[in-house]
Amino acid sequence: MEYAVETLSLTKIFSDWWGRERVLAVDELNLKVSYNEVFGLLGPNGSGKTTTIKMLLGLLYPTKGKAFVLGGDGSDPKINARIGFLPEESYLYRYLNARETLDFYGRLFGLPAKVRKMRIEALLDMVGLKAVANRPVGTFSKGMARRIGLAQALINDPDLLVLDEPTTGLDPIGTRQIKDLILELKKRGKTILLCSHLLADVEDVCDRIAILYGGKIQTEGQVKELLQQTNKKQITTDAISDTAIEKIKQIIQQEQAHFDISSPMDKLETFFIKTVTTAQHEALPTSGAVSSTNISGFLSSEVSAEDILDKLVSASISEKTSSKETPTTEQVVPVETPEPKPDEDVLGKLTESSKPAETKPVEGEAARPGPPKSDKQEQIKKAILDQLTTRSPQGVPRTKDQNADSELYRGPQGGQTDNPQAGDQGDA
Amino acid sequence: MHSIWAVATNTIKQALRLKIAAVFIILLIVLLPVMGLTTTGDGTLKGQLQTFVSYGLSLTSFLLCLLTIIVTIYSLTSDIEQRQIYTVLTKPIRRYQLLLGKLLGVILLDVGLLILFSAIIYTITIYTPKFINASEAQRAEADNEFFAARINLTPVEIDITQEVLDTYKKLQASGQLDEMFQDMSRKEIITQLTNQKQLEKRAAAVGRDLLWEFKNVKPTDPNGSLFIKFKYDVSGISPSDLPVYGRWFIGDYQYIRYGVQGETPVYDGVHSHSIQTFHEIAVPAHVVPKDGHLAVGFLNVPVNNTVVIFSEDPKVLYKADTFTANFIRAALLILLRLIFLACLGILAATFLSFPVAILLCLVIFLTASFSSFCLESFDSLSEGISNIYRYTVRPMILLLPQFDKFNPTKFLVPAQLLSWFLLTKVALSLVCIKAFLLFSLGLLIFSFREIAKIII
Repeated sequence: MEYAVETLSLTKIFSDWWGRERVLAVDELNLKVSYNEVFGLLGPNGSGKTTTIKMLLGLLYPTKGKAFVLGGDGSDPKINARIGFLPEESYLYRYLNARETLDFYGRLFGLPAKVRKMRIEALLDMVGLKAVANRPVGTFSKGMARRIGLAQALINDPDLLVLDEPTTGLDPIGTRQIKDLILELKKRGKTILLCSHLLADVEDVCDRIAILYGGKIQTEGQVKELLQQTNKKQITTDAISDTAIEKIKQIIQQEQAHFDISSPMDKLETFFIKTVTTAQHEALPTSGAVSSTNISGFLSSEVSAEDILDKLVSASISEKTSSKETPTTEQVVPVETPEPKPDEDVLGKLTESSKPAETKPVEGEAARPGPPKSDKQEQIKKAILDQLTTRSPQGVPRTKDQNADSELYRGPQGGQTDNPQAGDQGDA
Repeated sequence: MHSIWAVATNTIKQALRLKIAAVFIILLIVLLPVMGLTTTGDGTLKGQLQTFVSYGLSLTSFLLCLLTIIVTIYSLTSDIEQRQIYTVLTKPIRRYQLLLGKLLGVILLDVGLLILFSAIIYTITIYTPKFINASEAQRAEADNEFFAARINLTPVEIDITQEVLDTYKKLQASGQLDEMFQDMSRKEIITQLTNQKQLEKRAAAVGRDLLWEFKNVKPTDPNGSLFIKFKYDVSGISPSDLPVYGRWFIGDYQYIRYGVQGETPVYDGVHSHSIQTFHEIAVPAHVVPKDGHLAVGFLNVPVNNTVVIFSEDPKVLYKADTFTANFIRAALLILLRLIFLACLGILAATFLSFPVAILLCLVIFLTASFSSFCLESFDSLSEGISNIYRYTVRPMILLLPQFDKFNPTKFLVPAQLLSWFLLTKVALSLVCIKAFLLFSLGLLIFSFREIAKIII
């Protein structure tokens, strides 16, 4: 029980009908995910991510090697009871409505009716589908289906959450919400195995990552270690006077270091969410993108959902593994509305959002001190460029480490272009 | 159990909401009352009732069989093909529980629909006599020969094998064999001789009598009636509307055969009936002796002036149960069939794709529905070829259930008792053995199958 997920030379070879070996999907994979870790499994399409996950969960049988999940076999019901799984697409029963879908999965876990009902409402609230809870999920857009898929994975308050491409089809708000949820779950002692090729998502939430290619791990390590430029420092301040900046310049010049000053940029994600939230506060009518009409509602009650789940779990949050709920703890949970304080927290996070540092584990690198506020237009242009190349200032050669992970290295850029795209799909 | 139940209810919802079941339900709900209004049968009340029950129940059975096959297979294959199974099997549910859940769902759906449609058929059947102008005689006929569940006894068979062999030898010795039966194998000649002999035993020349022996005749109601069912035929050319007069003796076998005086009276009556259709004569049940050993005698009255032949042996019938009870058992018989098909569907769906599985199950269903036809056609093949079939195809057909042999309408139309004993026997062989084996095999395949592997 050392690791939440452990694979020992896990190998999967797909053979054709005649038994001839055709595709080597996963090759001698040794993966170790510790408890209470957010682990990102990255890799281009067809690199074996999904195959690995399916082997972990017993949907595919390994050709060679073994996989342990929560210290046991991934197809054992006892282990399954502690796993939440979101497959690469939300495969749902078209004819069930959102509430029935969750009820069906809840019943597979044998949750008592009371608990089920309460969790379903909380989860529907959280994923913002309460208003459409009685519509067949077959009529849902991709993003809405994704949300219900996520809710489905959380119905048992899992110890291990396996998310395969969780943010595909989601709008930026949904993406952001999933990221916040992942961090929140981590705080509560859960383990999350995240599988994605949207690098910004991974970078924002993962503690450790592994990059797969050709079914093999190419690189593995702590996100901070892999990405941090230890040969650089970044200082972010409030708007300070030109004289102060001059003084700082002098100090830096004394150190004979290269420097660059600009105003920090909002991330496009943050900007998008701010705009939508403002629109909602003004109660502008929206043309049917149902999922986004409820945003304030579900975001504010996200914490309430977590709260309820928290209460459901008798074991303390710091406990790493054994936070399995028992039916006896259920009475503790009257359906109560969220406490106001956490509400504000989340709302605050999402609405103010002028401090990108808050959402980024790699703190302080997103912003740079800017030059005098004159020539604003010029500055912004330059700042955009800076923002996009945050961690590759001109002239400074990359370290060996960084070169190896050049893809990840361009993380923020990917994030800023990918997210709105995802949003488009979700609203379409 | 909770997970089995969850899957079961989901399967039912799937069948109902995807309108698979709706098609069948609407069809039956429309067709059954229409049939009830339009069927006339042979013009008599009994005939109308028989026709309606026969067609109504057969149609219900056939459509429910199709529905069962389709729903079972669709439910499992669509889960696999549309991959909802990924999210289901990663929940705490074992694979056998998933299959059991699907099976349970389909069976519950079947039970519900069967109750609905049986109730419709039953109601129409029961209320038809009330809305129809029929003579008292017709009503009585319907009451006796349709609204009942009667035990159907056949006479003790007389062993004629030795007699046939003797004749064969005699013919062989006298060299007449080749003359009489040209180019026939020994087996075929024996069969033909046996038929001849049997016919001889059932033919009565003018003034001659015939006697049949019945054992275990135990009417439940000693004040009720006993029915002798028979069909006349005559030798030579005779107008078919010409009635045959027959004098019937029914009573203690010991007395009629050997003249030993018994305690029970002997029925003695002359009746005239048309030829080539089945008729029944009602006899008071108190003629049956205590030991149940009954004799039925027929005397060809000289008026007939022709040889009277019974194309098959007469039968003794008496009421043993109510129509309602028989009807319920007939519905249960259909249910057993549906359970078998559901298990068959599960097995097919575990390793085949939707269209192929449907095709396989339909072939098996149809073969089982015409199993006696298939078996007979193999039997009538000439010996050389039939040996190959005897050891290959025949056992396979015998492994299949024989739906036609235990067809519910076969019992309800002639008001024949479908006993609990027979029902249990069918349940044991059809469900407890055959269906169970199919399901276990399906489970075995499903357990070892890689669910996420896409097979093209």
